[in-house]
Amino acid sequence: MTTPTLVASRTALPPEGANLASPHFVSPRGGPSGNFMWMKFAVLNTLRNRRRSLVTVSIAALGTAAILVAGGFALSTYQGLSEMAARSTGHLIMAKPDQFNKDEDTPLQHGLDNAQELRKQLLADPQVRQVLPRVEFSGLISNGEKSTVMMATGIDPDSEFAVKGPFLTVTAGEVLSSGSKEPEVMLGEGLAKSLKAKPGSSLTLLASTTEGALNAMDVIVKGTFSTGVPDMDRRFIYTDIATAQKLLNTQRVSSLGVFLARMEMTDAARQRFANANPTLTVQTWLDQAFFYKSVKDLYNRIFGALGMIIGLIVVFVVTNAMAMAIIERTREIGTLRALGTLPSQLLRTLGLEGMVLGGVGTMAGAVVAIAVTVFLLVVPMEMPPPPGQSKGYPLIISFDLTMYLATMLTMVTLTVLASIWVARKTVNMPVVDALAHT
Amino acid sequence: MSQAAASVVEMHGVHKTYHLGEHVIPALQGIDLNVRSGELLALTGPSGSGKSTILNLCGLIDTPDSGDIVLGGKSVTGLNEMQRTLLRRDALGFVFQNFNLVPVMTVAENVDYPLFIAGVPAAERRERVAAQLKAVGLFEHAQHRPDALSGGQRQRVAIARALVKRPRLVIADEPTASLDSHTADQVLELMRELGHAEGAAFVIATHDSRLTSRCDRVLALLDGRLV
Repeated sequence: MTTPTLVASRTALPPEGANLASPHFVSPRGGPSGNFMWMKFAVLNTLRNRRRSLVTVSIAALGTAAILVAGGFALSTYQGLSEMAARSTGHLIMAKPDQFNKDEDTPLQHGLDNAQELRKQLLADPQVRQVLPRVEFSGLISNGEKSTVMMATGIDPDSEFAVKGPFLTVTAGEVLSSGSKEPEVMLGEGLAKSLKAKPGSSLTLLASTTEGALNAMDVIVKGTFSTGVPDMDRRFIYTDIATAQKLLNTQRVSSLGVFLARMEMTDAARQRFANANPTLTVQTWLDQAFFYKSVKDLYNRIFGALGMIIGLIVVFVVTNAMAMAIIERTREIGTLRALGTLPSQLLRTLGLEGMVLGGVGTMAGAVVAIAVTVFLLVVPMEMPPPPGQSKGYPLIISFDLTMYLATMLTMVTLTVLASIWVARKTVNMPVVDALAHT
Repeated sequence: MSQAAASVVEMHGVHKTYHLGEHVIPALQGIDLNVRSGELLALTGPSGSGKSTILNLCGLIDTPDSGDIVLGGKSVTGLNEMQRTLLRRDALGFVFQNFNLVPVMTVAENVDYPLFIAGVPAAERRERVAAQLKAVGLFEHAQHRPDALSGGQRQRVAIARALVKRPRLVIADEPTASLDSHTADQVLELMRELGHAEGAAFVIATHDSRLTSRCDRVLALLDGRLV
C-alpha cells in the first residue's frame, strides 16, 4: 500500500515527551530567504486592493510631508531667531553679577571698570572673533520743542558693524562710524518721525550721570533705522560709546559682548571665561534670548500638537486600511493557521504590510517635503509680518536629516504597531471560527 | 504491522458541545474512532450530524469537551494552542471545500507554503514542490495564480499543498462539493492514488456517494453518534 521511501521520509510526529514549544520545533524563519518571502507576501497583499492602498499611501505621504514641512519651517525659524539673538548680544555676555540681577540706582552702577583690559584678555582667545563693549542707558531726547523717552545703546560702531554686518535696516542717512568730530546718533524711524528728525538734524540727549546729576549733550542725527518692531523703533537710539560715556560721565561699560567663531563653541567658551573671571557672570545668548525662547516654546507646542494630530490621522488611516484587509482575509488567516502558521508569523507579515504602506507613504512624503524645500529656495516667498512687527520674512524650510529620519521612523513604527494591534485579535481567534468567517 | 501500530488517529469517547446563545447543541456524543495509516475514511451524514466537528478535532483546530484524541500513538488532548499549531504544521494536511488557496501566491508558492513555514531548506522545497505539482498534473501551471485555474485545478493544487509535506493525516471537508461530477471524479481518483502512494490517511467529510464508494471505509453519523 505504501512505498517505503515515502513512508521513511514522511514527517515524523514529535517524540514522546518532547517540548513542542521549544526552539527545536519552531521553524527557523529568520534567514534572509525567509524574510524575503514574508516581505514578498506582505507587498503582494498590499497590492490586492490597489485603490485602497493608494489612498492610504497618499494620506500617509501628505501627512508626513506636512509634518516635515512644518518642522522644517519651525527649525528655520529657530535657526534665524537664534542667529539674530546671538548677533544682537554676542554669543556670550560678560558683566558684573548685579548687572544681570539688580536694577541700577544710577546709570552704570554695576558697570565694568576695566573693560579695555578685559577686552584684550578675551581677544587673545583664538576662538574669539570680536569683543564689543556696550553702554546701555535711558533718558530723554529732545528736538527743542518736544522731548520723549529714549532707550539708548552706546556701541563701538566700526567693530559692531564689522562683526554684525547690516544688522539694522537703515531707512535714511548712514550708519554710525568711529572717530566722528561731532557726537552722532542713529534713531529708530518711529522716534525720528515723532521728533521730525532727519539725517543732519540736531537733537539733545538728556540723561543722569553716574553721580546722579543731570547732563545734556547735543548730537547730530546720522541716520534712521528700523528693527522691524515698531514699539522698539519709537524708543531706540544708537550712539558711539565715547558719546555715551561722555554723557554719563564715566569710563565704565555695561557689559562686553563676546562674538565667537562658531555658535557651537558657546558653552565651552562660557565655562572657560567664567573660570578665568570668577568675579564676573558670563551669560550665553540663550540666557538673554527671551523672544527666541518664547517663540520656540510656542512653536514647539503648536507644531508638536499639529504633528501629533497628523501622525494620529496617518496611523488611523493605515489602521483602518489594515483592519479592512484583515477582516476581508479572516478565512484566509484561518486557513494559514490551520496549515500550521504561528500567530507570531502572521503578526509579522501583517506588521510588514503596515510597514510597506507606512514606509512607502512616509518616503513619498519625504520626497514631497524635499521638493517643497527646494522649490522655496528657487522661488523665494515672503511670510507676512508677525504680530507687533512691520516687516515680513522669507519663508525658508530647513532640511534636517535627523528630523526626517526620526519622523519617518516614528511613522513607520506606529503603522507597524497599529497593524499588529488590529491584527492580533483575528490572528488569535479560534481557527474554526476564522475558517467559518464569511 | 499490527492494527494498533498502524493507527494514525484515534478518538476515545469524545464529546463535543456547542453553545449558541442559550441553546446547547451536542455535536458529538461519545465517538470512538480509529483511522489507520493509508486509509481513506469517509464520514457521511446529514448536516449537523457531527462530520465537520470530527474533522476539526482530528485536525487539531478544535478541542473536545471530554474524551481523548490520540495522534501517532500520543494523546493530543492536553496540548496547548502552540503545540497543536506545530503538530498541524508538521503532521497534518488540509483540503477545504472552497480550496482556500492564497490568491496572491502562485500555484508553486501555495504548494511551497507548508514547507516554507516548516523550515524545509529552499533547494529541497523546490524539488518537492515540483514533484508534487507533477503528481497532480499542474507543473505547467506552477507560476499561475489560483484565479487563472479552474475549480478542479484549484482543488488539485489544494491536494498538492496538503500532501507536499508528507503528512500522516489529511483532513478533507467536502472536497468535491464545489466541483462538477467529471472534475470531482478526477479529484477523487487523485486523492486515492496519492493517499495510497504516500501512505497518508484521509478523513473525508462528504455527502457525495461517488466519493464514498471509492473510500476504504465509510462511517455514517447521526446526531453526533456513529450509526
